[in-house]
Amino acid sequence: MARDIAADVLLGLAVAVVISASVGVLVMRDPYQKLHFVTPAALIAPLLVTLAVLARMGLTENTGETCLALGFMVIAGPFLSHATVRAIRIREKGDWRPGRDGAKATRETDR
Amino acid sequence: MTVAFVAAAVAMLIGLIPAGIVLCRASLMAAVVAYEFITSVVVMVLALLAQGFGRSGLFELAVLLAVLMFGSGLVFVRALERWL
Repeated sequence: MARDIAADVLLGLAVAVVISASVGVLVMRDPYQKLHFVTPAALIAPLLVTLAVLARMGLTENTGETCLALGFMVIAGPFLSHATVRAIRIREKGDWRPGRDGAKATRETDR
Repeated sequence: MTVAFVAAAVAMLIGLIPAGIVLCRASLMAAVVAYEFITSVVVMVLALLAQGFGRSGLFELAVLLAVLMFGSGLVFVRALERWL
């Protein structure tokens, strides 16, 4: 019973994190700010879901596969965020390094 | 079937609506950010649905999408950075 309640609370927290991060992606003005709200959905929510599955199901084969999928996402998320912010900066400034702006500064980033 | 997992998956899908609006209406790079957000959440949704319905075969989808999310995302942003 206590494990079920803990799992429900963790799932509720994960859903709250996803919804608030989604609203953050909508509300923020530029891609740099929006990217900050991908991290909660890619790191915190998967951890909460994994803990919820562990609390509800215990150590089973299905739990292991859930941990595998969500664990891979937790590992890959920061690398993907870094690559994305690098691409945004290169499209805007022509180079990701400070002080080397200008090569492609006029490139159109909007559709 | 575990109702809590399925309900959480449905709630997460509903929570994707704001990110979907960004995906459809914002600038190209903001849409890429929204795409990454949506992909991350969909991995969780697939895992939750597989857990909720108790079908071990469905976990392959979540694992595959988690792996492909990384590879395809990197290729996509690299292409945007250099060529598009």
